[in-house]
Amino acid sequence: MIGPISFDQVKHAKGHNFRGGKYTIEHWENFLLTACTGAELMQSGAVHPIALFHLPILGSGTTIAEMFSLGLADSDMSIAIESYDWQLFEPLRENLDYDVKGKISEVTRHNDKPEDSGLIYDRIVFDFTVGHKGSPMASSTVIWHYRRGLT
Amino acid sequence: MIVREGDQVPPWTMASVSAERMQTMAAILRDPNPLHWDRKSVAQLGIGERCINQGPLGVGYMVNMLQSWAGENCIRRMFIRFPNPLILDGDHIVSNGKVTRRFEENGASLAEVETWLDRDGQRGLIEATVTIQLP
Repeated sequence: MIGPISFDQVKHAKGHNFRGGKYTIEHWENFLLTACTGAELMQSGAVHPIALFHLPILGSGTTIAEMFSLGLADSDMSIAIESYDWQLFEPLRENLDYDVKGKISEVTRHNDKPEDSGLIYDRIVFDFTVGHKGSPMASSTVIWHYRRGLT
Repeated sequence: MIVREGDQVPPWTMASVSAERMQTMAAILRDPNPLHWDRKSVAQLGIGERCINQGPLGVGYMVNMLQSWAGENCIRRMFIRFPNPLILDGDHIVSNGKVTRRFEENGASLAEVETWLDRDGQRGLIEATVTIQLP
């Protein structure tokens, strides 16, 4: 049996910069995204704010699968979400080329409820910024727990 | 629009969380995790053959509630927590909110709203502290 991931194996992810890039939400994508939430498209033509989950991830040149992999996730079910912190400085718009940067800013190991489960997890913080023509438009911080040794 | 601390935001309901919408969302997110689109994969976890809703979709129910109340583009910041986020297809979800603070900043009229998702009286599946700009 292979033992759980050690902190030495995962701590090097801190400071990892995604390559950065651009992301454009076209009308079809906003239409489907908004419909998935059960809402109608906004009359203002703005993009549904939950785009602040995937726009920064994909725009910075990474994927959910790569984020799992960078943290050496044991499995898809081993990931728990601590929080998302989304800031919108301007409403997101369709058909704008957003410039996106992202990095892993923190990797720390924790031992939750040591008195009973002894569950060990690595807490990884991903920070993303979204801009347009040099102006900040939005930011997103994603914090996930990579739980170790779950059976 | 007159908003006071303690005001309740009119709830917003997702009558039945849809597996088909999760499949579309998985494609938009480019998320290969089968727990969001393959009921048989979820069944292996012992929680029945029901897909697991993506976290951002649950947040979307909160956004829809707030925008229905305070208007499009009202959201300035969302700090979202996931204490018990297991929402499955077929679930009846209600988004709720309460104004906890009113303040002015840089000439804008703002409010802080605590929001949460309920399922059959079970509170706090997802919670968020949201800053909104009032009209």
